[in-house]
Order: sequence, then C-alpha cells, then structure tokens
Amino acid sequence: MSATATDASALRPRKPGPSGVLIAGLAAVAAFTVWAAIQIEFTLAPLITNFTNGWEIIQEFLTPNWSFIFRVWEAWVETVAIAIVATFVGVLVGLIFATMASRVTNRSNWFYRVVKVALSMVRSLPDIAYVLIFVALVGVGSLAGILALIMFNIGIAAKLTAETIDAVDQGPLEAADASGSGTISRTRWAVLPQIMPNYLSYCLYIFELNIRASVVIGVAGGGGIGSVIDVQFSRFEYANVSAIVVAIFVVVMAIDQLSQYLRRRFV
Amino acid sequence: MSTANLTQRPDVTPAKRPTEPSKTRSTLVWLGLLALVGVSAWLSGARWSELGSLFTEGWRYFLLMGQGLVHNPFSEPYSEYWTLAFDKMMESVYMAWIGTLMGALISIPFGFLAARNVSGRVTVQVSRAFLNLIRAVPELVFAIVIMLPILGFGPLAGTVALGVGAVGTLGKLTAEALEGIDMGPVEAVRASGASKVSVLRWAFWSQVLPEVLAFWLYRFEINIRASAVLGVIGAGGIGSLLSQLFSKREWEQIGITLAVIVIVTVLVDMISGAVRHRIIAGSAKSERRIQEETVAL
Repeated sequence: MSATATDASALRPRKPGPSGVLIAGLAAVAAFTVWAAIQIEFTLAPLITNFTNGWEIIQEFLTPNWSFIFRVWEAWVETVAIAIVATFVGVLVGLIFATMASRVTNRSNWFYRVVKVALSMVRSLPDIAYVLIFVALVGVGSLAGILALIMFNIGIAAKLTAETIDAVDQGPLEAADASGSGTISRTRWAVLPQIMPNYLSYCLYIFELNIRASVVIGVAGGGGIGSVIDVQFSRFEYANVSAIVVAIFVVVMAIDQLSQYLRRRFV
Repeated sequence: MSTANLTQRPDVTPAKRPTEPSKTRSTLVWLGLLALVGVSAWLSGARWSELGSLFTEGWRYFLLMGQGLVHNPFSEPYSEYWTLAFDKMMESVYMAWIGTLMGALISIPFGFLAARNVSGRVTVQVSRAFLNLIRAVPELVFAIVIMLPILGFGPLAGTVALGVGAVGTLGKLTAEALEGIDMGPVEAVRASGASKVSVLRWAFWSQVLPEVLAFWLYRFEINIRASAVLGVIGAGGIGSLLSQLFSKREWEQIGITLAVIVIVTVLVDMISGAVRHRIIAGSAKSERRIQEETVAL
C-alpha cells in the first residue's frame, strides 16, 4: 500500500530549480539597476509635485500656432533636401563598405576584420557627435547636417546590407566562381541582384530615419526644421514649437506610409 | 551517321544569342534619381564651397584630437579629461538602462492590448494608434516638451524621455511577437481550466519572453546613443559635455571624450550582444528573424 502512495507522489516530476547562472545574472541586473538609479537620482515624485509648474508650459503647447508651420516652409524643404542627399550618398558608400564587411564578398581575412572594426567604431558614435564635429569643421548650416547624416547612414546601411549579403544563396556565387569571375564581377552579378530588394527597403528605412533625425540635426546646428525648433524654444515660443512638432509627426507618418507602400512593391 | 546528319542540318548552327532586355527603364530611373539628388543638393542651401575646408582644416583638427589620445592618460590634466568623460558616459549608460527598463515595463501591457490574438478589435486599433503616435515623436521632442518643464534640467528628464520613447517601439514589437506565437500551448492551458490571466502568463508570455528580452537589449543599445542627443539640451549624459567642449573647441579633450564614447559603446554592445545570443539560442525564432524585425526599432 505504501508503495502505491509513493508511486502516486512520484507521478508528478519535481520542478527543476533555477540555475545558478540565472540567479547570478538576475542579481547582477538588479544590483546594476539599483546602482544606476542611485547615480542618476531617479525618482518619479516630481511628475506629481512639479506638475503644476510644467502644466503652464504644457498648456501653451496645447494651443499650437498653426500658421507658423507654413511661415517656415523653406526649413521644411531644407529638411527633406538634406535627407535626400544624405540618404543617396550614405547608402551608396554604405553598399561598398557592406561588400567589404561580409566574408561572402571579401575573401581577405585581415581586410574583413579591419573593415568590421572600423564600421563598429563609425556606428558607436551617436548622430549628435557627428553633427557637432562637422559644425566645427564647416560651420553652422545644412552642409554640416548632410555630412553628419552621411556618416550616420554609412554605418547603418553597411551593417544591415552586410548581414543580408552573409545570407545570400551560394548557388550563383559558385556559378560565378566556376566561370572564372573576379571579386568585383562576382559581387556585381552573383550577389547584388540577390540583395537588391532588401537593400532598397533599407534605403527607404534610412530615409525615414533621416527625416526623424532632422530635429536632432537642427538643434545641434545642422540646419533644417530642427534649427527652427531650437530658435523658437530658446525664445519660449512654445505655441510655435508645438505646431512644428505636430507637423513633423504628420510628415513622419506620411513618409512612413509612402515607404511602406514602396517596400511592398520592391520585396 | 547521326552526327554527320546533325552537322548538316541548317537549324542547328549555334542559336542566336538572346537580345539583352532593354535598359531604358533603369536608365530613366537613375537619371530621375540623380536629378532629384541634384535639385535637393541645391535646395538644401548647403554651402558646398566649404567642403574643401573639410580636407584642410579637418585634417588639422583630426591630428589635434589624436594628440589628446597619445598623451599619458595618467598625467595632469589628461587623467582628469579621461575620468570626466568616463563619468559622463556612464551617466548616459545609466540613463539608457533605467529609461529602457521603465519603457519596457510600461510596454508589456500595451503589447498585450495591441495584439490581435489577445484583445478585441477596438482595443487593438486604439492601442496601435497610441503606440504609433509615440513612435513618431523623437525622444528629443518628449524631453523638450514635457520632461524639461516638469522634471527640470538633468539626467532624470532624459531618462524619463528615453523611457516614454521606448514604449512605442517595444509595445509594437511585443504585440507582433505575441501575434506570431504557436496557439497549441494556449489551447492546452485553456483546456486545463486556467483563468484568463494564467493563459496570458503561461501560454502567451512564456513563448515570447526570449524574443521580448532580446528586443529590450537592442533598445538599450540604441538608447545609449540616443541619450547623447538629450545631453545637448541639458537633459544629462555625455551630450552636454560634448557640446560644451565643441563650443570651446578643446580638440584634445574632444578626442579623448569621443574615444571614451566609442570604447564604452562597443563594450556595452558586445556584452549585450552576447547576452542576446544566449537568450535567443534555443528559442523558436532564429536570430536572423529578430534582427530583421528590430530594424523597426
């Protein structure tokens, strides 16, 4: 009888305990979180206590000055123009670097490593750092914005495209090798046609990113609609700022829709 | 005999090489694109003549930045430059971490509300619209419009701005992950008489957890870069130091600060990438899929 009782209890397997690595990992994450929160003096109390202070300003934001949007239409044109030029140059250069950053198209080991490290360095600097650098080099204005975005775009385009190149079908590559093609014609005829749909969709995505980045670019002195925001903000013209913010939102959404439509056609 | 016959037949002479398809269309597309870029280059109002100074001045500044790096980092004043840059960069990392965590926690309920196989149609539409709204507004705008007036200047405003910004993308990706799950476990849990909450916890959440954690880590990596931007408007982190240095044109210190940014970012990316690999290993979705999806981040 006792045997059946033990059998019944043995039916349900014992729940495995959490692994030591998991416990240690979670403890480390918790410790880091607490430490980080202390370092930046994280608290949500001001959201409640200071709310009335901020509310006056937010109220101004809630009454946007719509007419201002069209008064600065030149800045809008500038923003879109900056994004177009920077995307075009950035994705072309990015494509060249992408072919150098994949083992499929770059068969030199040391060169591959050098390009990989260089690209991860290019990517690790935030867009704002590039804007500040180029503003210092060529002065305040849209040229600095274009150059900064080009650097930023090269990093993203190269990374995404290199990952796509890594995953291409080997068949055409073998065919190209068998017919004795060199590295460049192999890349051009066996790899490029395969990655084209993905690459085009990355181009559109990067264009979207550049429109989104226009605020950042302008605040740091790189021209476009962001510089208008910066000026209006420093003059405490919050009604104008909020009109521009709403308009940026609409533009970003519109470009998002357009590029989604185009992407469906490419891929 | 047959070979002789074949060679004699006139229609076996090597077939004509097929004519190349017309290139007119692609030529037109390229011409149109070049025209668009040309017009944009003109409309952007950029002073292209300044481009030359990039190579004359740029080289000089580049050397100055490099000089900062070759000096002994333990001698005055360079040791101070390194520690200051490192402290500020760590502040950026802390901001990104807390902000991402905050955004991630808020994004969980929104992810469930915006998943078609969890919530009703109206709820899905409303929460999707809300998430899209957040996604379209840059963090910088959140910081300027809401955080600075309420929270004042400093890292707290930047952190909360990063957190709110993260809700949009993380909520959307969580919803998409939930929609992609295997419904088998859901049925099994339901069949065992589980409550609605238990179904969500054990059938839905368990399936998407590795993927969602990977998204959080990706977002953390992105937020480290984004926090630098917030510093420029005074919301804490490495950005404020960077913009001060550039306005004073302290090239040696700029070089050191940029080096610290690169080193810390690459290190954090490596750690976070290794953890992501480990989390995703063994989950139903390949890492490749996840990489493709996070393009939306």
